[in-house]
Amino acid sequence: MDRSLSRRAFVGASAAALSLASGARSSAFAQQKNSISVRIERDITALDPAFRGGPHDANVIRCVFQRLAALKLDGSGLELDAASELKQVSPTLIEFTLKPGQMFTDGFGEMTAEDVKFSFERFAVAPVDGKVSPYKADWSGLAEVEVTGTHTGRIKLSQPNAGLMTIAIGDCSGCIVSKTAVTTRGAEHNTKPVGSGAYQVVSVEKQRGAVLRRNSGYKGPQPAFDEVKVNFIQDPKTAELALRSGELDFAVLPPAIAEPMRGASGLSVESQPGLAFIWLGINMQKAPFTDVRVRQAVRLALDVDQMLLAGFNGKAPRLNTLIMAPILGQWKDAPVYKRNVAEAKRLLAEAGQTAIKTRITVLNQPAFQTMALVAQALLREVGITADVDIREGGTYWDAGKGEAGKTLDMFMMRFNGKLDPSFLMQWFTASQIGIWNWQRFDSPEYDKLAQAAISEADPAKRAEIVVKAQQEMDKSAAFVWLTNDVAYVVRRSTVKPAFLPGAIDWQLEQFARA
Amino acid sequence: MSETAHYVASRLATTALIVLGAMLLLFALSALVPGDPATALLGPSATPEYAKRFIMEMGLDQPWYRRLFTFLGNVLLGNLGTDVLSGRPVTRVVADVLPYTFILTFTAIGLAVAIGVPLGCYAATHRGSVLDHVFAFVSVAFIAIPAFVIAIFLLLIFAIWLNWLPVLGAGEEGNWLDQAKRLILPTIALSVGWIGFIARLVRSSMLETMGENFIRLSRAYGLPGRLVTYKYALKNACIPTLAVLGMGVGRLLGGAVLIEIVFARPGLGRLMFDAISTRNFPVLQGAVLVVVLIFVLTNLLVDISYAAIDPRIRRQGSR
Repeated sequence: MDRSLSRRAFVGASAAALSLASGARSSAFAQQKNSISVRIERDITALDPAFRGGPHDANVIRCVFQRLAALKLDGSGLELDAASELKQVSPTLIEFTLKPGQMFTDGFGEMTAEDVKFSFERFAVAPVDGKVSPYKADWSGLAEVEVTGTHTGRIKLSQPNAGLMTIAIGDCSGCIVSKTAVTTRGAEHNTKPVGSGAYQVVSVEKQRGAVLRRNSGYKGPQPAFDEVKVNFIQDPKTAELALRSGELDFAVLPPAIAEPMRGASGLSVESQPGLAFIWLGINMQKAPFTDVRVRQAVRLALDVDQMLLAGFNGKAPRLNTLIMAPILGQWKDAPVYKRNVAEAKRLLAEAGQTAIKTRITVLNQPAFQTMALVAQALLREVGITADVDIREGGTYWDAGKGEAGKTLDMFMMRFNGKLDPSFLMQWFTASQIGIWNWQRFDSPEYDKLAQAAISEADPAKRAEIVVKAQQEMDKSAAFVWLTNDVAYVVRRSTVKPAFLPGAIDWQLEQFARA
Repeated sequence: MSETAHYVASRLATTALIVLGAMLLLFALSALVPGDPATALLGPSATPEYAKRFIMEMGLDQPWYRRLFTFLGNVLLGNLGTDVLSGRPVTRVVADVLPYTFILTFTAIGLAVAIGVPLGCYAATHRGSVLDHVFAFVSVAFIAIPAFVIAIFLLLIFAIWLNWLPVLGAGEEGNWLDQAKRLILPTIALSVGWIGFIARLVRSSMLETMGENFIRLSRAYGLPGRLVTYKYALKNACIPTLAVLGMGVGRLLGGAVLIEIVFARPGLGRLMFDAISTRNFPVLQGAVLVVVLIFVLTNLLVDISYAAIDPRIRRQGSR
């Protein structure tokens, strides 16, 4: 028998082997996976609750550490996590009791009230090595955490903080770290965190992401997946291809990428209102915008719907005021400004401004650039000539700060929101001028209302205060609200994700099989 | 001192000056770059006191020339500084991504040489043939199409349509097969332009060399055509190609950033891109230093190798 391999036979065998390999890969994907792969759009910086880099870090942190109580997925309140009891005794006193036997990983022992004290006070009250947390505002009003027993303690506030449960205790800033682990590991704790949550970090690699594995010592509800791969994928197009090829199970993507994926095999695309706020701000302290009539004219010259159509393919909902659903204190009757060229021209003429030259500063992201170009065209019709100043992150984020902020004209901005109104309101007080209040909106009345909103424990009264504060913002005409963004969640149909409204804050430990 | 040793010593001295010059330029330029690093790195969460501390930890409250001296002093002790955001030493941060850059750069250059040189040789020895014209067309097309466009097409064909190769990342640690599979598409995407470039370069160098007197003399002596083409002509034609490859390695070390982004692969290019975007100067300085060092050392090796090929260069260098 002739056993020599002809060229034709070799090519045939290679093709068969390749198709077998590809078939094997497909069938492997079809099997029920015990791990999931999710996308984060920024690289992991520090997995330490007090020094996290942003929401991308927080999404890992929340499933590695426990909190006294965690926010419910619908954002309607808290459910107990590490605590067996959490009681608001008075506006300035909260008592807690920890469940016994909750163990930190890597042999760092049982969680005690001393760890809770350390975790909360290190933000600002008792910073380690003098390092104050950039998130110290989350714990605003905290005076002390008093340890009353191994598992019991009292959180004492110097002044009431109505947002404390939502912003701090129930969220990332409320994560409980091991005092011994943080002090012994030092900076290494950023990449080798010691928690007591559902997952533990197996590895963190620069530019790759993290691998999380089920924490066998976790006493709470067991997660559905043994392993979570958190992949840092900068380019949304790559994320799309990875979703289509089956390498990725979950990602939040921009509308332009996610929309065409509807109907893709094995994938599910869902859109929902975001929890970020995007607006066009006007510097009130820079001429000619010092005149309220000029600001009003800008507001009337713009067509928000047209701008959203250009920037978000019309997929993002319009925002008419600062606070969006489901956050407490929505101003339901907030005016919906329609474009009115004649009125805008009349206001400009009244202000003696018929040929304004100005600038709109935006971040170099497609949605902002497109919206700015539309705004430029709309403003031209009322006699305002606006240059669009597109900047990369490094220079953009500095544009409204310090002395530079005084020369800023108009800008477009996006801030991530949280489920508490005071979190959203904090950036517009006079003390934030030169920091994040780029409008240089200086209203003593607003400041008073913002402070009152933090202190007011009664939700109804608080909502009323928040609405009044928004009315103050509206009067200034320094804010042209655009949208609260839209979150496009793309997932494998076999995975059921878990996240708070807006899909910014994920609960990876609650991801389940669909 | 031998000619070669003298040549290497003079090149090493030049290398040290180049590194110093590059770092001087980087520090001077970084002082001119607008944007507050603390804000760029921390975003809205940056409280003024935290931002101030950040600036101090990065040494940005010092004049740039003082920072440069401190940096160079630390470099001599093997310390590239600390990434203030993660608290990790920059040496570790760079060392984490360096292997990925190395492997991608050298496989891409290797593939480009393996395909580009034979194509160039064939085109030179079959000048005016149909295949010569075809190679010319394909080479120019390869050079003209940006690598990231090729990358997207490769992904669509091999990862989505055929489902043969993966899309993401660099593969699981310790799993060589997985890592090799994830290297195929980025390597092809990165090398395509270089294949075209090397093919054109080898062709023109070969044609030039084959018209020289020593080749005519070799033929007149009746040496076999293959020997003349592949031993004498190709060897001489390799010198400009080697010089270009040296530059190519340098460009790919830091310049594969788009490919690294498209394939979500770690790498020095991405590291530097992220560092400059966020004004993370300690990481940027460390990464640039490493890239410059590798670049000049690669070019030193190239210089030495073509001095070995052509004794005339060695003699010129030692003078």
